[in-house]
Amino acid sequence: MKIAVDAMGGDNGPTTIVAGVERARDQFPDIEFLLYGDEAKVRAELKNEQRITVVATSEEILADEEPVRAVRRKKDASMVVAAQAVKAGEADAIFSAGSTGALLAAGLFIIGRIKGIDRPGLMPTMPDFRTGGQFNILDIGANADSKPENLYQFAVLGNYYAKNMRGIERPRLALLNNGTEADKGDLTHKAAYQLIAAEKDFNFIGNIEARELLNGRADVIITDGFTGNAALKTIEGTSMTILHLLKETIMEGGIKAKLGGALLKGSLGSLRDKFEYSRYGGAVLLGLKAPVVKTHGTASPEAVYYTISQIHDMLEKNVVADVVDYFSRNELAKRPEKND
Amino acid sequence: MSEQEIYDKIAQLIEERFEVSADKVSMTLDFKKDLNADSIDIVEFILELEDTFGAEISDEDAEKLATVGDAVNYVKNHQ
Repeated sequence: MKIAVDAMGGDNGPTTIVAGVERARDQFPDIEFLLYGDEAKVRAELKNEQRITVVATSEEILADEEPVRAVRRKKDASMVVAAQAVKAGEADAIFSAGSTGALLAAGLFIIGRIKGIDRPGLMPTMPDFRTGGQFNILDIGANADSKPENLYQFAVLGNYYAKNMRGIERPRLALLNNGTEADKGDLTHKAAYQLIAAEKDFNFIGNIEARELLNGRADVIITDGFTGNAALKTIEGTSMTILHLLKETIMEGGIKAKLGGALLKGSLGSLRDKFEYSRYGGAVLLGLKAPVVKTHGTASPEAVYYTISQIHDMLEKNVVADVVDYFSRNELAKRPEKND
Repeated sequence: MSEQEIYDKIAQLIEERFEVSADKVSMTLDFKKDLNADSIDIVEFILELEDTFGAEISDEDAEKLATVGDAVNYVKNHQ
């Protein structure tokens, strides 16, 4: 299998990306890498070039650029050329730590959607703190506006991923909503509930409230991109604030608190690590013709490595090919009744 | 390429992309109003136009393409 890597993406450029790629190369003998970026900078970081081909590109997409315009205009940007390689069949998947918006645009407009999927969804894997397991949530922001049939298709995609990638026979699907009763929510969520509940293939457990997200109630949580993005950022912000308050309380609490803090240092460190969800891999843009996977711009070489192992699993388990097959033969999944 | 040939190709692209029958496509068909196309649909369609006709459509020009007729005229005047 071949993975196209945008070596210029992310806050630390090729340094972090190349370190993570080399670790993955050493671990997975069946992966070949195509590294796209500034040739001199990429080569300077490479320890050995076994199963790694460096492809020189002259541009990169910056975090503050308008994504669609950047992808259309910067034709020699590392991310764009990497996506073109996937489109041309020279690579099987693309990995980037660069601008999320640009990767969405490159995935959507260069690699393209699976026929039958109206909109792809961005889906990370998150920790569930009650059982120590994980859950997937989509869409967390690929689309600002979603229709009920988009949410239904996210359910199909998430269900497939949980079954094939995570090996869960009957994944528990839940719809993120502002109450648990079936009639809760705005018109979109009420209609989405009905569409998802009507699908016999799903193990749909109904609506879930945001406060239950990390409690292991569902394996896949379906949400529109606007709500999903707000929910995820609330989790991130709240966890960071709690950790900060904890530290502040210990540091300002006098000698006893500081002693207690010193004793708890290891435990508090592991608490922080639990919130670091890049350990569980990257966010997948699900619904495209090939795996398009993103990790944080601040990702460590370890997070890059975990994300590449996730792509390796996706390719090995044929997740995308199975979804293509499902949508080509399942009329219901293609397009439930339009609501407009 | 004649206007009719351009129209036929564009009509075919629209039928496939927006899943509408041939009899619904006309020069006055409006992407947003009649096909309920959002910004992503429009960008995908513009890129498909570029691939099909080998033209490069600037963002400024792309914003002005509201109907099938606009697209046909654009391609006709830029070939």
